[in-house]
Amino acid sequence: MTFTLPRDGSSLPLSHFFLAGLDPLDQVRISPILQRLEAGGALLPDSQIHRLEVIGILHSYGEVLDAYSRNLIFIADHQFLELFPAFKYFNGEITLGKWLRYLWHDRINYEFAEYCMKAMLWHGGGGLDRYLDTPEFVQRAKAAIRAKIRFNPFLQGLGILFPDFALEQVRMLAMYSGLGQFWRVMSDIFLSLSKRSETEPHLTIPEVVAHIQQGLVAAAGKPIAYAPCIWGRRYEIIPLSAGLTFLPDTAIPYVEAVFFRSFPFMGTVSYNAQAGQIPHEQADFAYGALYADPLPVGSAGIPPTLLMQDMMRHLPPRLREHYRRSPRGEEDLRVKICLSFQKAMFCVTTAALRALAPFPLETQDPQQQKANREFLTPWLQRLAGSRLLSMQEVFGM
Amino acid sequence: MSNLLGLESSWWIPCYGWAGTALAIPWATGWVKRSGPRPAAYLNILLTLAAFAHGLWLLRQVWGRDPQILNYPWFRVADLDLTLSLEISPLTIGAVVWISGLSLLAQIYALGYLDKDWGLGRFAALMGFFEGGMTGIALSDSLFFSYALLEMLTLSTYLLVGFWYAQPLVVTAARDAFLTKRVGDLLLLMGVVAVSNFSGALTFSDLRDWAATASLDPTWAAWMGLALMAGPLGKCAQFPLHLWLDEAMEGPTPASILRNSAVVACGAFVLIKLQPLLALSPITDGVLVAIGTITALGGSLVALAQIDIKRTFSYSTSAYLGLVFVAVGMQQPELALELLLMHGLAKALLFMGAGSLIYTTATQNLTELGGLRSRMPATVAAFAVGSLGMVALLPLGCFWTLTRLALVYGVLQPALVGVLLWVNGLTALNLARVFGLVFQGSPQPKTRRAPEVGWLMALPMGILTVQTLLMPWLFGRWGLYPDWSPELRWIAALLTASGLVGAAIGGWLYWGSQRRVHLPWPELQDLLAHDFYTGHLYQALVVQPVGALSRGLEWLDRNGVDGLVNGVSLAFFFSGEALKYTLSGRMQLYVLVIVMGVVLVTAWLLHSLHLGLAY
Amino acid sequence: MLSLLIGIPLLGSIWIGLIPERAGKSIHRRLALGFGWVLFGLSAGLLLAFDPHLGSLQLAETMAWIPQLGLVYELGVDGISLPLVVMTGLLVLMAIWASGQVERPRLYYSLVLMLAAAVAGAFLAQNLLLFFLFYEVELIPLYLLIAIWGGPQRTYAATKFLIYTALSGILLLIGFFGLSWLSDAHSFTYTVLQAHPLPLVQQTLLLVPILLGLAIKIPLVPFHTWLPDAHVEASTPISVLLAGLLLKLGTYGLLRFGLQLLPDAWEQAGPWLAGWAVVNVLYGSLDALVQQDMKKLVAYSSIAHMGYILLATAAATPLSLVGSVFQMVSHGLISALLFLLVGAVYTNTGTRDLRLLQGLLNPERGLPLIGSLMVLGVMASGGTPGMVGFIAEFTIFRGSFPVFPLQTLLCMMGTGLTAAYFLLMVNRVFFGRLSEVATAMSRQQVRERLPAVVLATLVVVLGLQPAWATHWIEPTTADLAKSVALSAAATEGVVGKLTCFMACDSS
Repeated sequence: MTFTLPRDGSSLPLSHFFLAGLDPLDQVRISPILQRLEAGGALLPDSQIHRLEVIGILHSYGEVLDAYSRNLIFIADHQFLELFPAFKYFNGEITLGKWLRYLWHDRINYEFAEYCMKAMLWHGGGGLDRYLDTPEFVQRAKAAIRAKIRFNPFLQGLGILFPDFALEQVRMLAMYSGLGQFWRVMSDIFLSLSKRSETEPHLTIPEVVAHIQQGLVAAAGKPIAYAPCIWGRRYEIIPLSAGLTFLPDTAIPYVEAVFFRSFPFMGTVSYNAQAGQIPHEQADFAYGALYADPLPVGSAGIPPTLLMQDMMRHLPPRLREHYRRSPRGEEDLRVKICLSFQKAMFCVTTAALRALAPFPLETQDPQQQKANREFLTPWLQRLAGSRLLSMQEVFGM
Repeated sequence: MSNLLGLESSWWIPCYGWAGTALAIPWATGWVKRSGPRPAAYLNILLTLAAFAHGLWLLRQVWGRDPQILNYPWFRVADLDLTLSLEISPLTIGAVVWISGLSLLAQIYALGYLDKDWGLGRFAALMGFFEGGMTGIALSDSLFFSYALLEMLTLSTYLLVGFWYAQPLVVTAARDAFLTKRVGDLLLLMGVVAVSNFSGALTFSDLRDWAATASLDPTWAAWMGLALMAGPLGKCAQFPLHLWLDEAMEGPTPASILRNSAVVACGAFVLIKLQPLLALSPITDGVLVAIGTITALGGSLVALAQIDIKRTFSYSTSAYLGLVFVAVGMQQPELALELLLMHGLAKALLFMGAGSLIYTTATQNLTELGGLRSRMPATVAAFAVGSLGMVALLPLGCFWTLTRLALVYGVLQPALVGVLLWVNGLTALNLARVFGLVFQGSPQPKTRRAPEVGWLMALPMGILTVQTLLMPWLFGRWGLYPDWSPELRWIAALLTASGLVGAAIGGWLYWGSQRRVHLPWPELQDLLAHDFYTGHLYQALVVQPVGALSRGLEWLDRNGVDGLVNGVSLAFFFSGEALKYTLSGRMQLYVLVIVMGVVLVTAWLLHSLHLGLAY
Repeated sequence: MLSLLIGIPLLGSIWIGLIPERAGKSIHRRLALGFGWVLFGLSAGLLLAFDPHLGSLQLAETMAWIPQLGLVYELGVDGISLPLVVMTGLLVLMAIWASGQVERPRLYYSLVLMLAAAVAGAFLAQNLLLFFLFYEVELIPLYLLIAIWGGPQRTYAATKFLIYTALSGILLLIGFFGLSWLSDAHSFTYTVLQAHPLPLVQQTLLLVPILLGLAIKIPLVPFHTWLPDAHVEASTPISVLLAGLLLKLGTYGLLRFGLQLLPDAWEQAGPWLAGWAVVNVLYGSLDALVQQDMKKLVAYSSIAHMGYILLATAAATPLSLVGSVFQMVSHGLISALLFLLVGAVYTNTGTRDLRLLQGLLNPERGLPLIGSLMVLGVMASGGTPGMVGFIAEFTIFRGSFPVFPLQTLLCMMGTGLTAAYFLLMVNRVFFGRLSEVATAMSRQQVRERLPAVVLATLVVVLGLQPAWATHWIEPTTADLAKSVALSAAATEGVVGKLTCFMACDSS
């Protein structure tokens, strides 16, 4: 490299690299990560084991997301304002065998998909969320609602007493659909990565990141639309003309709501108002996938357990074998999966950061580098409190 | 005959719950690893449904009949005869139906509330255990078994509050809940032991007969009564054993629904059954009234200062149970039971509503809520009907009970009418405050997107809303309400007025955009918000003295007793030099020395004995 | 039949002792397990041979040994010793099972079986000298088991144990000789001695050494300090045997030698003994409250629980006596369970320190099963209904209340303290976020947790069906209570006549 990167933060202009509010030790630990990013690396260091874990877990995640996304879209399209959606996880296919299997809870835990949807809805942000407050949305949603309840006097009466009830439900359904469409893309990216790794067994972490980044960039302009099916007819609630697109209107709010903020877990945080454990501002929430403590996974009151459980049922054999050989074998599988999952999510975050950065991160142009750092600084600042720093050890190069 | 056979089956009812617990074990313990825990919940719901249906069927059998006692010998040893004795009457079976019905609703509700909780299997098992214990208490005609079941409730409260065992505040909450209730239970056990000695009987019916003729030393009678009272006192979260209920709110909301309606009622139910024994001493009745009054007055004040939605309701539970205590102390068991029933329904409904808010908005903080009125129909209905059912304002549940209580007190002890007016007014104020903060005003950041909860939570809320609305009508149809007399009109008007004043003040203060009202005296506000600093009181009066005593004894044990006894016993065998040598590690040699010593002493003794015998 | 209960483990002990270490890694263990099963089977078979309706001595065996000394090999079993013998069979099997891979298995298992033979012998002996012999024989294997397989301070603890118990043995021996010497019978046989009661003064003189000897063994405050040390240093299975069986030798002695052989003195001492029981209960419980080592905590809890037995024995009503034997069984099962669980925590985390452990209920990396059983165990110990601890204690309280109301109420406070210290322990160790200390170790096999599951099941079953235990005990204790009451009535009668006589005289 002709333009040598500074070894530490001290020779950088303070405004660029001083991450306010961090203790000096974390500053020191963050700086190599920044250097790695600028050298084309990822938030997660590259190593043999990390490659195995990340590619393996993205495979199972891809499969699970596939199921989640199908179901979210099904609910949004076909369970529109159903008051008793007892079979909403059946995707419209109700057979005795399936019902018995579901009774035995031998199924994908779609509840987790709804949990992520609720996080996006509740935290808001992005164009989709903004659109839900526009008069256009209200008018279109009301048309759909009218169509749906025209034979239902109970709901009509309810609509008079509680005028925003159905509207709020439609907002939620729109978010179902939005997240479903987002995950559709992500699932395809992860599954294609998994397929690619079969022919290219030595994919590195930066290559994984590049693969995801390509997928994101390719889908960036993909339109987000929503038109549920009511009495056999489609009602456009989010039309193409609303101009919502994949990256800014679903991906970024998703990262914010699910990776960063999410909800406090009842199993580890007290909701007692007088104890004040939960921040007053939603922006201060830091309970997301990149922050969560993996150790309590499997306990009561830890929703990500559901995702880990689902991925556990779709582990590729190589990864399962790897877990089996590590200490404790399969006893603490879900914790191990969670650790791998967080590693993978840091790769996804890297890809998102690279896609959103004003210039390629490897740029040698000082001006561009400066702009990049201005972009990266707030992100790294937030990530310093996440599990990122605990994942920097490199085993088994 | 077939009818008799039907009644015989009533002992099954608690067993449904316990069977549910047993069936849920594979999921609760995590043996089933690949699939999820829902089957445990489904099984428990099914069994609770069976208990409910069975109860309803039995209710039809016993309706309008005299109570029957069923006895099953359980444990008989020496002069102790413990018989599992059940009272089958419209009252007890009605209580069973009420408990299993609430449990059923709470469990369905939990399917929704805990839909993302992998501990659902354990939760289902605990709810089964809980329900078994409560229905058992409803049926039990044996003081011994009622005590045992109350203890089981203590245990299951501990386990249910401790459901999210990894959460730091849960750790202390579960501990405090258990220990506080345990204090009450222990005193109750002392009472049980004493009573069974004095009377030789342990069934409520025998005890009633005994109490009618007993001539007991008044001091003993008073102490015994106070001890017996202590169990329900802890269970019903009465002063000074009330703090656990506040802390127990750390547990999952579906359990709080049952705890604040049925579990506290079980404690009071036992109290009502003990009433003939308590009446042996005039002191106990006085104490009951005093404690009830203190809790009712204090609890309704403290509830006003809470910003946590679950806690503000839990303090009002304490206050209402205080009213029940007063009613029992004033020899009004029927009205006490009615108040338990009506309050239980309304409070369960309020807690369901609170759970739905927490689920939707991810906060329990009243000051962060607002503007939800037009979006959450089931929740609004639950809050509105629950609130109205609690207070004497419209002719719903508690209205009728409170007016009749006031009518009785008006004759016996007019000051108590003041207590009723006070509690009614403050409760109305508080409920109006909560309703205003939650539903009125403009949406807050955390309530900006708040779709109503799913059907698994909304349906139980709806059913209970309808039930609460129907209850006064049902009671009227059964002829349980008196005709309007002029005095009753007066009293009813007075109570309604107090409710109106309270609701009006609450509405005026909180139905706008105001989030918080600050009292002119912040010390007072803090005092109430922190429950008169009861936690500090426990620390200073119980925890610290016992801790200091323990530490002192432990020090004495290590430095005094051990050294002294060691010295004496070692001196018996050896000089100090030998001890030093052997303790340094020559173990084998030391064994030899000891054994030889023992053998020598033995031989010497044997020898002398031999001489003695020969002589 | 009864001799087999001593002979089989003794045979096993010798057999295992003869097989060289190099013969194979697990052969000793498998043999020991086999003998454990046979012993357990035999002791359980005793239940079939024993007629529960009779309160008298059954299945007696007699053989002259050294008649000049009065040492006769006399065995027999009644309602007091039967449950303890059966429990011996059970707990020895559990202890062997829970031992797993130990160092020097030949010596270890040989000693364990020798210990089993001695304990069974002591419970079965019907002759004071024979009892003493077994009582002394039991010391040596236990000393070695602590001293060789114990923790870092094992030598100190084992020596302390040995000195204390040897002292207790000598005190007992003094009492025994006195008993035989002073009575007209010149015999050491229980039944003979019982038939020839001594005058009150002599009884009182003899009660002192016997009571002191037993007080060390049980142990009663202030002679208890050897027990926490011994428990802390002993390995898990040895703690199980120590708490479950060896302490019961002392409480068994209270009934046998105190109540049965010295009834008048016992009755006179009753109020003092009840007071001592209160001290024991409260002192043990309060000490347990501040312990930081889980094992020490359980040990102090054992001391406290022995107080209930003393109270019941002092009250000596028909009900309290059933309760005292029942409580021996109950405490045997519960404390064995608790020690097994504490041992499991220790082997899996490497510590028993309450300040280091946290969050072990964690389902993935913690010990959820051990945690659940621990909750059950401490609840049983704290007297939660539905488990054996409650009904045994209730029987004691209900039986003792008419005689010693105040002392009984004070002892009951102990159950509240029990709940407090155990709950503090469970909450600290099992609740909360899993501490890093605990995450490094690998977990036990399910098979190794089975003993705890078996004991927990028994604790619940006997809690739901207490009659299955008391059924065997009651006739004997009823007879005992009757004979004590008779003798007391006789004394009282004499005293009453005397006072009347004196009153008449003075008038």
